[in-house]
Amino acid sequence: MSTLTITTRDAVTGPVIEITGDLDYDTAPGLRKAVNGLTVAGGHLLLLDLAGLRFCDSSGISALLSARSLAIEQGGHIALAAVPANTARILRIVGLDQVFTIHADAATATASPRERR
Amino acid sequence: MCRTGQAPEPGDEYGVDATDAVFTSLLEDSVEELYEQAPCGYLSTLMDGTIAKVNATLLEWLGLERSRVVGRMRFTDLLTVGGRLYHETHFAPLLQMKGEVSGIALDLKAAGKQRMPVLVTSKVKTSQDGEPLLIRTTVFDARDRRAYEQELLRGRQAAEEAARQARAAREQAEADRERLQEALAALQQSLLPSQLPVVPGLEAASYYHTASPDLLGGDFYDLFPLDADRWGFFLGDVCGKGPQAAAVTSLTRYTLRATALHDADPVTVLTTLNTVLHERYASGDPRYCTAIFGVLEPADGHISVHLASGGHPSALVQRADGSAHYLPTPGGLLIGVLPDAPFAAARTRLLPGDTLLLYTDGLTEARTGPGRELYGDDALRAFTIAQPPAGPQALITALTGLLASFGDGLDDDTALLALGVPAPTPTTVSDNLA
Repeated sequence: MSTLTITTRDAVTGPVIEITGDLDYDTAPGLRKAVNGLTVAGGHLLLLDLAGLRFCDSSGISALLSARSLAIEQGGHIALAAVPANTARILRIVGLDQVFTIHADAATATASPRERR
Repeated sequence: MCRTGQAPEPGDEYGVDATDAVFTSLLEDSVEELYEQAPCGYLSTLMDGTIAKVNATLLEWLGLERSRVVGRMRFTDLLTVGGRLYHETHFAPLLQMKGEVSGIALDLKAAGKQRMPVLVTSKVKTSQDGEPLLIRTTVFDARDRRAYEQELLRGRQAAEEAARQARAAREQAEADRERLQEALAALQQSLLPSQLPVVPGLEAASYYHTASPDLLGGDFYDLFPLDADRWGFFLGDVCGKGPQAAAVTSLTRYTLRATALHDADPVTVLTTLNTVLHERYASGDPRYCTAIFGVLEPADGHISVHLASGGHPSALVQRADGSAHYLPTPGGLLIGVLPDAPFAAARTRLLPGDTLLLYTDGLTEARTGPGRELYGDDALRAFTIAQPPAGPQALITALTGLLASFGDGLDDDTALLALGVPAPTPTTVSDNLA
C-alpha cells in the first residue's frame, strides 16, 4: 500500500509543500486536497519540495499540474525542488520540464525571492 | 511444616461430631415425608393406568387435589394431547415390552393451564411369580432444561439464518462484481478497435495488457483510413485510471479520428486535441494525455511515416538489418496542460522488413528483477535488436512474452501497436532449400 505524507510550511517566498512517499492513483487526491486549502498570494511562490518523493505516476503528475493551475489562478508562481532522478526523467518525457521551474533544493528556491520574477 | 505425631486437633473431632449431627437431623425425615416432598413427582398406577398413589410434589405441579386424582384419573389424563398420543404410541408399548422406560420427555397439564415439560421414567412392579402388579413412575421437572434446549435451538436457527444471509450477500456481491466487470470490459473494448483494419502493403499488430480488471485503463490506440491513399494511426495514454480517465480516453480517440479527417498534419491534429482537452478540463478535474499521432503514406516499395508526439515516449523502429533506433520527438508537451503547447514532429520511411513500434510507458516503466530496477528505454532497444526482424506480429508476440515475464513488476496498463512493411516472401530461399 502506497503512503504519502504532506507537510506544509511557510517560507518568505510563499507556501512550501513537502511531499514524502508515493504520489500515485491512491494518494494523489491527498495532495490535491492539501493544495486546494492553500492561498498563494499574488507574486508568491508555491514550492513543491520533492526531496522525499519515492514514486510518482501519471496521477501524481496530474496532481502536480493541479497545484500549478491553482498557483497561477491566484496570481502566483510554482516551482519544484529536489526532483528525484526518476521523476525528472518522466517530466522530461512528457515535456513538463519546460512547464515547471525546477530547483536543486528547497533552500535554494526559497532563499532569494528578489531574484525571481 | 510436618505435623506427624501431633495429637488430632480439637477442631477435627468437633467437625466429625457436627457432620454426624446434620446427618441425623436429615434422617429424622420420615420415609413418608421424603416420598411426599421429594424434589420429583412420584406416582403409582394400576396396570390400566388408574392412579393409585401420588406425591404432594406432583399434585402441586398439577394444581390438583389428591381426592380428585387417586382412583379417579389415569396417568394419561395428566398429560397434554400431544403427550397422551406419544404415551399411547411409544411409551406404553415400550413399557409393556421391556418392563421399564427411562427419561421420556412428555408434557403435563400443569396448574394454571400451563404446559409443563417433564422427563418421565416408569418401571413395572411384578409379583414374585412375575405377574405385573403396578407401575411406578417418577416425573422430573424439565422446564429449565427444555427452555435451555429451545434457546440452543433458537441460537442455532439464528446462526443458520445469519449464515444464510451472509451467503446470499456474498452471492449477490459476486454477481454484482461479475456484472461490473462485464460492463468495464465492454467499455474498455469500446476504447480500442476490436480489430485492426487491413491496409494494403502494411502489416499491423497490437496488444493490450490490462493491469487491473476493476480499473479501466487510460491507454488507447487506433489505425484507420484517412483517404484512399493514406492511413492515420495513434497510440496514447490518459493520465489516471477509472471511469473519469476512460471518458477522456473516449473523447481523445474520437477527437483524433475526426480532426485527422479534416487535416491530418500530425502537429495540427495534436494541437486540436490539446485545445479540446485544455478547454474541457481547464476548470475542475483536469485530465491530460500523452499521444503519438501519425500518418502512413504507402509509396513505391516503402511507407513514409509522418508523426508527432505530445509528451509520449519515442517510437522505436526495428530495421530489416536487425538494428533498432528511437525516433526522437523532443519537446512535445503533455496534451491538455497549456493552451499553446508545442508538439514535435518526426519522419521516417519503413522499407520492407522494417517495423515501427509504439508503446505506452507501462512497458518502459515496468520494474524488473529482485531490485525492481526500471526496465527503461535502453533495455527495450536491446530487446528489440535481439529479436529477428520478422515483422509486426512477431515483435508484438515477443513483447507480449516480455510483459508476461515482468510478473507483478508490470503494474500499469500497457498498449502496443506495431506497423511494418512485410519483407518480400522468401520464395527464393525455399526454392534453394528444395
